[in-house]
Amino acid sequence: MSLLTVSNVSKHYAGHTALDDVSLEVNEGRIYGLLGPNGAGKTTLIRIINHITAPDSGQVIFDGHPLTQNDVVNIGYLPEERGLYKKMKVGDQALFFARLKGLSKAEATTRLKEWFERLEISDWWNKKVEELSKGMAQKVQFIVTVLHRPKLLIFDEPFSGFDPINANILKREILRLRDEGATVIFSTHNMSSVETLCDDITLINNSKNILTGNVEEIRNRLGQNRFKITFEGDTNNLLAALGDNLLEHSVDIISDREKAITLKIAPEISRRELLRTAAEAVDITSFGSALPSMDEIFISTVQQFNQNKI
Amino acid sequence: MSNNIWLVIRREYIERVSKKSFILTTILTPLLMVLISVIPVLLATFQSSDTQVYAVLDRSEVIAPELTDGESVKFVSVNMPLDSLKADDAFAGVLVIGSRIMDNPSDVQLYTHGPGSMDTENYISKQIKSIVESKRLEAYNIANLDQILNNIKANVILSTYRLDAEEESSTSTIMCFILGIAMAFLLYMFLLIYGQMVMTSIIEEKNNRVLEIIVSSVKPEQLMLGKILGIGLVAVTQIVLWMAILSTLVGVIMPMLIPSEVSAQMAALNAGSLDAASATVDIDLLQTMSMLGNIGFMISLFFYLTIFLIGGFLLYASIFAAIGSSVDNIQDASQLSYIPTIPIIAAIVCATTIGNDPNSSLAMWLSMFPFTSPMIMVVRIPFGIPTWEIWVSIAILFATFFLMVWLAAKIYRVGIFMYGKKPSVKELIRWARYK
Repeated sequence: MSLLTVSNVSKHYAGHTALDDVSLEVNEGRIYGLLGPNGAGKTTLIRIINHITAPDSGQVIFDGHPLTQNDVVNIGYLPEERGLYKKMKVGDQALFFARLKGLSKAEATTRLKEWFERLEISDWWNKKVEELSKGMAQKVQFIVTVLHRPKLLIFDEPFSGFDPINANILKREILRLRDEGATVIFSTHNMSSVETLCDDITLINNSKNILTGNVEEIRNRLGQNRFKITFEGDTNNLLAALGDNLLEHSVDIISDREKAITLKIAPEISRRELLRTAAEAVDITSFGSALPSMDEIFISTVQQFNQNKI
Repeated sequence: MSNNIWLVIRREYIERVSKKSFILTTILTPLLMVLISVIPVLLATFQSSDTQVYAVLDRSEVIAPELTDGESVKFVSVNMPLDSLKADDAFAGVLVIGSRIMDNPSDVQLYTHGPGSMDTENYISKQIKSIVESKRLEAYNIANLDQILNNIKANVILSTYRLDAEEESSTSTIMCFILGIAMAFLLYMFLLIYGQMVMTSIIEEKNNRVLEIIVSSVKPEQLMLGKILGIGLVAVTQIVLWMAILSTLVGVIMPMLIPSEVSAQMAALNAGSLDAASATVDIDLLQTMSMLGNIGFMISLFFYLTIFLIGGFLLYASIFAAIGSSVDNIQDASQLSYIPTIPIIAAIVCATTIGNDPNSSLAMWLSMFPFTSPMIMVVRIPFGIPTWEIWVSIAILFATFFLMVWLAAKIYRVGIFMYGKKPSVKELIRWARYK
């Protein structure tokens, strides 16, 4: 069931278009990746979902009804540019934000203590924010974002500024929140975290939605006719043998003798045919299909889009 | 949702009031004010009693015998060459009076070792002036001159009473003036300091991006209003505490300092039965003290001061808030903050003129015009003006505030997300239409 539906949303600022007819659908209980290069319009879209900015046209449906100011208590937002009051004590500050989201003081205090213990930061309660390191402040901010148990969580670059250990703790907590029923929108450039966390993605480039769907499904679709061959022998022989049927390729050197080639061939060439041609040219040590990484999908989709536009 | 405004107000208020700097300035400023008014008295008591001895070389032989020694100046008549006197360190200096002093009073020189003192110079020239004048008078040979001079001396003391006030009470115009200017200056300080506090606090929130988090739970308008009200409450707290501390200090110290005969005369003055000629104390001082001792009057002054502080602050803080939201840094803000600063400064500049003639039509109009009315009205109030004028001015002030805060909120919610570019008018209108 869809928790959030964005339909045909556009937003223009003086001089440029931030969003151009963007639609997407976020299903309940899923982790949804919002991807795109810098300046693509992700932050504007997130602000619209947060009811901070209004779209010029289009509609946002949240939990079955058009989004209103009252829905913000069901949304938790961790902005990319983190900010806390520097001079305020951590505990007071967390309480302040929690109460802004409608929690009572007692309720907020109990939940905060719980979270502080779970993330092992209980002794920071009376520290001022300016005394914390960047990563520490991020933890506090994460807690503030999720404390009121919102239905929809929006994280903008949640892992930036975290060391690998804390990033893993954060990942674990995000998955736990998802398992408890929260829906997560996840805006990031970190493609490996997309592969491990996201169920669905939307790729926004140049204010437009250029790719949307389930991560596995996208990788499989874009991975058709993509193979990885490791071999011994002369790379040029192999390339010559494949000839015009080779659409794209990249070669990695594995050891003194062994090399690996990742390639995409024309769809009319069958797997058997490819294997036979290659075996005649070089000594194959392994052969398999190669799913593209999200990194590759991101780069190739964006580049293709930009070329088509020109 | 209105609960959220309250949370914002509470945060702004507690964060500021619990700062050490706030507590210190709140306690120390009234103490300092009392100290400053006491210092001249203390200084007079502890003034250096070093007596300086001046050698007098009187070539006219008329002046020297008449010179009288002062508290810190002594004269010794000598008859030695000037050069040797100049070399003599035993004297603080040499006063040389020319032989033609009666015809040319400027024929007098003072040589000193070390820097001269203004007091001494004044003392000497005053003495010589009066000696020369009396000698010249004597030359007319008028009989009973001293008695005639005494008889013609006149000392006028004007006791003023207000007839239109509820009870006929003694007033001191000079004290009204001082009170009015003091209150205007206080407002001037508060409006500028606290107004800019609103502005910098908004810029800060914008810069460290706390704003993004808050506006995902609070409407920008609520945030702005909460901030203005919170900081305004801090201002009111400070001024109330100042007045409380000041009046306690004055209330405790004044009775101890005033001798009983003075308080008796004060009572007589208020009753209208004081015979000015028999008064042993300067009547101006009596009037001043009796005015300060009039608790009802002081409370009403303070009441109006607080109302105009609140109204003026709310109005100016909204302007400062709009400016703060539309810029990225303090440098850019200082250019725009001329807009609210100019009327505040203009008002304080006019305040003295208004104090000299509180019933002029200029005073009347400036005290109705909302951007100057807080400062100008508090200058006029101590002189006693019709109550309806005050309330009309208050009504205009608050009406303008509501208009201004509505406008500021429109600018604010666009401005806070604008980094590095100015919003267009078209965009402002679009935002204004959005619910």
